[in-house]
Order: sequence, then structure tokens, then C-alpha cells
Amino acid sequence: MADEEIPASAAPPAGAPPKVAAPKPAAAAAAGAHAPPKPPPAMAATPWDGPLTGSLKQAFGDQISQYSTYLGQNFVVANAEALDSILDFLKLEADFDYLVDITAVDYPKAEKRFELVYILYSFASNERLRIKIHVADGVKAPSAVHVHVGANWLEREVFDMFGVEFEGHPNMRRILLPEEWTGFPLRKEYSILKQDDRWVKENLGIESGH
Amino acid sequence: MPESTFLDVNELVLNMGPQHPSTHGVLRVILKLDGETVTGTECVIGYLHRGVEKIAENRTYIQFAPYVDRMDYVAAVSNGLGYCLAIEKLLNIEAPPRAQAVRVILTELNRITSHLLWLGTHALDIGAITPVFYCFRDREEALKIFENYCGARLTTHAFRIGGLQYEVYDGFEQEVRAFCDMFIPKVDEYEELLTNNRIWVNRLKGVGVLTGDECKEYGVTGPVLRAAGVKWDLRKAQPYSGYEQYDFDIPTAQNGDTYDRYTVRMEEMRQSVRIMRQAIEKIPAGPIMAKVGKVVKPPAGEAYVSIEAPKGELGYYVVSDNSTQPYRVRVRPPSFVNLQALDRMVRGGLIADVVAIIGTLDIVLGEVDR
Amino acid sequence: MVRLLKTIFLWDLLQGLWVTFRNQNPKYICTEQYPSERPKIAERYRGAPRLNINPDNGETLCIACNLCALACPENLIVVGSARNEETRRKELSYFTYDTSRCMFCGLCEDACPVDALELTQDFELASYTRDGAIWDRQMLEEGPKPSKYLS
Ligand code: SF4
Ligand code: SF4
Repeated sequence: MADEEIPASAAPPAGAPPKVAAPKPAAAAAAGAHAPPKPPPAMAATPWDGPLTGSLKQAFGDQISQYSTYLGQNFVVANAEALDSILDFLKLEADFDYLVDITAVDYPKAEKRFELVYILYSFASNERLRIKIHVADGVKAPSAVHVHVGANWLEREVFDMFGVEFEGHPNMRRILLPEEWTGFPLRKEYSILKQDDRWVKENLGIESGH
Repeated sequence: MPESTFLDVNELVLNMGPQHPSTHGVLRVILKLDGETVTGTECVIGYLHRGVEKIAENRTYIQFAPYVDRMDYVAAVSNGLGYCLAIEKLLNIEAPPRAQAVRVILTELNRITSHLLWLGTHALDIGAITPVFYCFRDREEALKIFENYCGARLTTHAFRIGGLQYEVYDGFEQEVRAFCDMFIPKVDEYEELLTNNRIWVNRLKGVGVLTGDECKEYGVTGPVLRAAGVKWDLRKAQPYSGYEQYDFDIPTAQNGDTYDRYTVRMEEMRQSVRIMRQAIEKIPAGPIMAKVGKVVKPPAGEAYVSIEAPKGELGYYVVSDNSTQPYRVRVRPPSFVNLQALDRMVRGGLIADVVAIIGTLDIVLGEVDR
Repeated sequence: MVRLLKTIFLWDLLQGLWVTFRNQNPKYICTEQYPSERPKIAERYRGAPRLNINPDNGETLCIACNLCALACPENLIVVGSARNEETRRKELSYFTYDTSRCMFCGLCEDACPVDALELTQDFELASYTRDGAIWDRQMLEEGPKPSKYLS
């Protein structure tokens, strides 16, 4: 939605003419709900340096390309191949024993369009750390299941929503959507009104859900 | 298979749900049984999938706030708090102290309502019918406070980005105080009903054990983790919304079985009352809204903010691309992650315990499926 | 010894039964006899929508600014306006509100600059048809009229 739709000015006194332009037709509002994705402007992250970065640099060298912090939250950008050993290292050497979440962000314009985000937490040092890797469409990402058992469903959900497959996952199937569903809803090109019409027709017996 | 007859197969596959009274919604569990012993499970979820994360990408930051209430609908206030905190973090602002105090009171009240619902339904699953009536009766009192405060009982939409929409109403303090006074004897009453009851104890003791290390492995948080002896609560570990000002304990237990989770949650309700009592005494004066424009437009960036919801760690990972709509909102649902440990907990147990264990995990399917 | 006696005489069960017995007291009855007894609704309750009219001249307060329609996450409000050539003001021509999709979040009410749209304490929104859930301007101004089965 464009910015000028809701004016930042305070409410006009009763009776005064409204400050907004003529209302858009409702159809435009509905269509405008799906703006084409644009490459996000860069985030103003600052480099991160701490005791942990030292040991990570020593252990992984140029496998980790970026150490950053933004709003007090640290993250590193790593190569997809090194993910396994980084998670392992962090779990055993740095006590990051709790895998909070795995998720993905889709940047369709980027060369490797999926950014997988692993959020880790250390009970011992009360610290959070995010690891990001980038994978291209159709390329398998390494699975973290044998390091953190809890990654199982989280990876299945990423597969379900984005279509990123995980190499070495014991049960790479859809989890939330029906198994025969086609399409990956959280990809940016999947419009909000889209659905698998064939599946809906076959299983629910209706032409479409909307 | 010539050398085996069908009599050799002593494995039975049993389907439970999705419409089963004790799966708390539309959870389907496929159980593999050997006699009465469970040898494996498979959860089928997603019946309540509404695509909350996709909706978020097509709404403005302000417009998405009511949707988060509909994930964990018995703890809508906590969901809203987490979302507001995440966006406030992205905007790099903080709610004013008055708003924070009110937020704490309502969130703790919500923790009580959530735990009461859990207690009632859990007891009902085990076969004790009475607690559910008492729990709902007392939950009603808390819901009335929500209704008076923000006009809705369940999906409250109580908080806004930057603070609160509604000033507290006249008599809010008295009502909360009256609730606190009324509630503690009620908790004692529930305990009188259940804690020593031999059926209750026998059904729960030693059932569904999950040790602290297993919890960490699976990422299980909340009362389940604390019942396994890990003293970890985000309200203490990484205080938000002014929780550091309040004096409260983190209840823990040692065995990590279903009974311990019960005692931990009962104690948590008492601690919530304790927090509310402290907060209500000193709601600071002042504004209830930080300076937020009518259009929320955080700078490009990302943040992960998590809070201690009644069910565990509820996290929001929000990516902003400097527009009025979030680029990506990821919800880290505690129920979803906790449910994953179901397999470990029921394996080797009896089929009758599956019901008890689903109940003790305190899942809400709205949040599992989103 | 005490424990054994307690076990034999089912002390724990009696204890629980005593709680149930105590709660038999009629003063703990909390059932509401809806619909013969109206429930008490909070002042801020977000129920049926209403378009307020100016009590002095009976005209609508709404200035057709469309802010509520833009604020609504569900896009369910449609505001129609036409320019009145005499007063040279924009005037409301139609207003529809789809209660079947509304989640009563209150964002439209907050957005309205003149407090014309308001969520009221009426909660009886059921209708026999789907179309009945779409409210037009007249219905919004007059409020729902649920059939009464008990006086
Ligand atoms: S209450 Fe919420 S959903 Fe309903 S019309 Fe208003 S803004 Fe839309
Ligand atoms: S915001 Fe208020 S004044 Fe504007 S169109 Fe809606 S009801 Fe009318």
C-alpha cells in the first residue's frame, strides 16, 4: 500500500473536508494488496566483533563471509556447505545447544534466491545468534537434523512453504499443506489468492475457494 | 511373504483424530501399536493452516496485528505483545512505562486464562470432569477484565505498535486486585481436587518423561522445559516490557513427567498473580503511546524478538524492506516445536497415556498450523 | 500409619468431593439465562457496527473520507461518495459493511476521524442468508433488529 493512503496528519476536526484524495475503487485496493516484490534496500548492519567471532574465524576462515550485528542482534552469513560443521562447532564448543528456529526468506531477484535463517540460542551464555546461508532455487540445502533433532519439522515446514529441499533429511515431505499440493505458498510469486485449483476441485468438490 | 501369516503381524496402526475430543482441535495422530504399547507415532497437522505468514506479507504492519491473535487464540494477548515488541524493535522505540505495566498485567492475566483452559481440558481428558467447570467459571472473571479493557474477550487486539490503544478504564485496578484475591483460593481449590487425588497421580506420575537434555535437543520450551529441571524463563533471561522490575520465581520440577508439568503450571499461575499484584500497585502515570506515525514504516532490516508465551518461547522474526508492509514475518510457534517431541514422549508408553501427553503439552492447533 | 489410614479411607477422594460439595452452594451459580436474561456487555465491546447520525439534524456524521476502508485489514468496507453540487462537499452515497468477514478488530473505528463508524454493544449478528451479513447504510444506521423469541 502506498504511503499517502493514510495521512500522517492528525485527525481533521469534524466537518472539515478530508485531506485524502478521492477514494480508490475497491478493486484497485484489492489488486494493490499484492505489490510486485522489489529488491530490499540494504540493512544498516554494523560489523560484529566479539570473543565468538574470533574462534569462528579461526575455525572456519572464509567459509563465513560476514559477521554483523543489527539492533544488538548478531548474525553471520556462511557458505551452505559449511553449515553442518558450523552448527556442530557451535553446539559442542560454544554451547549453542538450542536451535530456536529455521526459516527462510525469499529474494526472487537475488542470484541465490533463498536465504535460510537458523536462529540459535545458548543457555549457558544467554546469547542468540543467527546463521544465514543462501541457496539457489532447486539446490538442496544441508539438513541440520543430525545436529539438532528439533530441526526435523522446521525443515519440513521450510520445504513446504518455499520448496527448499534438505539433503539428508529423514522425512522430506510436506507438513502443513496436503501432500499432493503443488506450489510453494511463501514464495514471492505465489499470489495471496492463488491456490492449487486442481487439488481443491478434486478434494473439496468446489471450483475455487474464493 | 510366504513364511509369515497374518497372525505374525502384531502391529496395529490406529488413527486418532483429526476429530477426536482429546486432541484439542484438529490434530491427527497415527499410532503404531504393539498390543497396548505405542511403538511409533506420526502427527498429521495442517488442518487449520490459514497462511498467517503469507497474509502478513500482504498487510501493513498495523493491519497484521489482529491476525496474530488468531494463532494461539487462548493466549491472544501474548501473541499481540510479541508482535508489537518485534515491530518496536525494528523501529527502535520502546513503549512508555505506563503501557509496559499495563501490558505486563494483561499478559499475566492471559497466562492465567491459558493455563486455566489447559487445566480444565487436561483434567477432562484424564477423566476428571469437575475442574473444567471451575476453571471456566474463574476464567470468565479474567475474560471480563479483557472485555472491559479492550472490548473483546478472546481475540483481543489489545496492544498496538508503540503502546496501547486504550487507556485503562475506571475500576481496572480494583477489578484486577479483586481477581487476584479471588483467584489464589481457587488455585488451592483445584489443587485440593487434583494434587493428591490417587487417580490423578497414578495417571500422571512417570508418564511422558522428557529430560532437560531432550528438551533442549528438540527445542521444547515453556513449562515443559521447566518441569524437566531447567530453570529458564525468557522473562528472567532476557527481560522485556519491564519484567526485570518484578519479583517472581521460576517454578521448576525435577522429573519432567506429566505430573511435574502440572505442578509447574499451577505454580506459574500463582507467580502470575504475584507479578500482577506488584504491577498493579505501581502503574506509572504518563502517556500510553510512544511516538509512532500513523504509517508504520521501519527501516530496512530484520529482528528476532521472542517472549515467554504461556506455551513456551514465542518468537517473531520480521524482515522489513522499508515499506509499509513487512517483507517477511516468521512466527516461531511454541506449540509447533513442542508437539514435535510428542513422538519421543509417547514411544514405549501405553496408548491411554497418549491422551494425557497431548494434554500436558498444552498445544493449540491454531498455533501449530498457523 | 496416618498415610495408610488416609489411603484406606479414601481421604484424597473425600477431600476432592468436599470441594465439589462446597461449590454446590447456590451463591456460586454463575450460569446466565440467555436469552431471557440479557448478559452484561462491556462498554467498550466491539460488536455490531453502527454509522452514527447527528442527533440534531438526522444527517450522517460520515464525511465519506474512506479512511475506514483503507484501515481495514480485510478490505470489507466500501464507501461510495458523490459530490454535492450545491454545497460543494463530498457526501456519502452508499456504505456497505460485510460483517461475515469482519473480525471486529476495531481498526476502522480507530481510523474514523469524526467518530462516525463505531462498533457497538450489539452482538446478535446472525442472519439466515449470506447476503444478510452484508449491511448497507440503512442497516448500519438503524442497527440490527434480531427477532425476539422471548420477551
Ligand atoms: S473491525 Fe476490523 S475487520 Fe471489521 S471492518 Fe473494522 S477494520 Fe475491518
Ligand atoms: S472513516 Fe468514518 S468518516 Fe471516513 S468514510 Fe469511514 S465512517 Fe465515514
